[in-house]
Amino acid sequence: MPLYSAGRRRVIIALALTSALLLTLDLRGNRLFDAARSGFTVALQPFQQAAEVASTPIERLWRAYSDFDTLEEENRVLRAQVDAQRSAEIAAQNAIIENQDLLALNSLESLASYDSVTARLVGQSPTNFDQQVEIDRGSIHGIRVGMPAVNEAGLVGKVTRVAPTSSVIMLVTDPSYAVQVKILSVGGEDPDQVVPGFTTTTAVTEEESFPGADQGAVREEFPIATSTSTTVVLDDRVNLPEVEVIRETGVLRGQGDERLPRVSFVAGNSAFGRIEIGDTVFTAGGSTSLAPPNIPVGRVANVITRAGTAGQELEVALSPDLGRLQFVRVVLYQPPTELQP
Amino acid sequence: MIGFLMNSWVARVIPIGMVLLAVQTTLLVELRPFGVSVQIVLAYVAATGAVGGVDRGAIVGFTVGLMYDLAVGTPLGATAVTMALAGYVAGIGRLFRIESHWWILALQSAVGAAVGEAMVPVVRLVIGEASVSPTGLLTVVGVVTAAALVASPVLAPLGRWSLSLQRSEMKLPPEIRAEV
Repeated sequence: MPLYSAGRRRVIIALALTSALLLTLDLRGNRLFDAARSGFTVALQPFQQAAEVASTPIERLWRAYSDFDTLEEENRVLRAQVDAQRSAEIAAQNAIIENQDLLALNSLESLASYDSVTARLVGQSPTNFDQQVEIDRGSIHGIRVGMPAVNEAGLVGKVTRVAPTSSVIMLVTDPSYAVQVKILSVGGEDPDQVVPGFTTTTAVTEEESFPGADQGAVREEFPIATSTSTTVVLDDRVNLPEVEVIRETGVLRGQGDERLPRVSFVAGNSAFGRIEIGDTVFTAGGSTSLAPPNIPVGRVANVITRAGTAGQELEVALSPDLGRLQFVRVVLYQPPTELQP
Repeated sequence: MIGFLMNSWVARVIPIGMVLLAVQTTLLVELRPFGVSVQIVLAYVAATGAVGGVDRGAIVGFTVGLMYDLAVGTPLGATAVTMALAGYVAGIGRLFRIESHWWILALQSAVGAAVGEAMVPVVRLVIGEASVSPTGLLTVVGVVTAAALVASPVLAPLGRWSLSLQRSEMKLPPEIRAEV
């Protein structure tokens, strides 16, 4: 049969049209397809379990070969870091507790307000173009599509597919991922830089001091990252200089595995030029956001100034190491707009 | 009806697809040479196309691609169309070759797998899903092609079995061979 016979052409056209039809129906949302996916996932599970048992020795061998040198070096560096962080952690935990108490006292929303389900990662995306992981908890554990997933370091992603005993999480780095975030920056040396409407000037009288406070220095870190040299002063109240907290919101979008996620702002942003490398990025929350507020996302790694009125873009170095995830916590949060009436 | 199904290619392709999908979603997500996930399912489709020709390659690719979409959660039809194309392209060589040497099949499989994998970001872009940098794409296609080339001697007989092809169907009829 020649390459372009009538019969062959019919087969190709039929396949192409079927694909287009299926894609259209699926992208518009189709319960039948969702049910088929769930059913197929269940049917595939015995095969996967068998393959997992058979492939575990091969995986271990591969890891031993490919990761040993890296792990040894990393272990040495991490031990040094753990020693350095131990004292900082105590101060940070204290700050977190105080923060949560204050939020609860003022009836404000925080991550601690929601139940969560801890899940183990059981698989990654088998494709080379998606950033997804699979976890071993699903709808029978209360997980629903859209819920945010976090770990100790911060935001990991969101649930995109739920089966009874497993779920798929789209990672923050996936190009399809987007979440509203806020960038918090502590500045304030030059009062002329304060732009009404985008900055809040707060007179801070905290019961703590830090090196240089008496010379009018401004603390560089967000309070949660109190340095180890911080000393808590209980009796003598120290009046710190006025601290200006720049709070700007934007949308964080994944850029794929090889590039850092970016936050883009609307054009004409009056906080232009005020955000600096190292500023902290948190989820912004809100009635339509898929994540509650104040989940750490990362730090600003690069500020990109675009020409004309295109506005500013930020590259964000994520807090969690998405390549080394073992466990995640799915926060049982659904935005009000997603809740069933 | 049951007898027909048991003897048809569907009864062989679907279980093979399930096993390969299980391997794809377990072992091959961990073993990532150069950070790339080797696509064993795509390699199987390309190898089947190489031994079975364009029609059968495209149909098997479409079927296995649908299973892949169902298992992985990609939009239904997105992988099916790329795998159908991979099977089709791999099968084109069968129209021209005289003997089915293993290395010719391997080359056909590699070309089919390369085209199939390269089409994934194109299809995703068309449906507004992902953007992939050209540098990353070259590495991905390179590794997937090399894997299909290496795996072909194993996957081509598997593809031949799943299509219930006889050895004689792999070659030209004796009278035509004599003329050639």
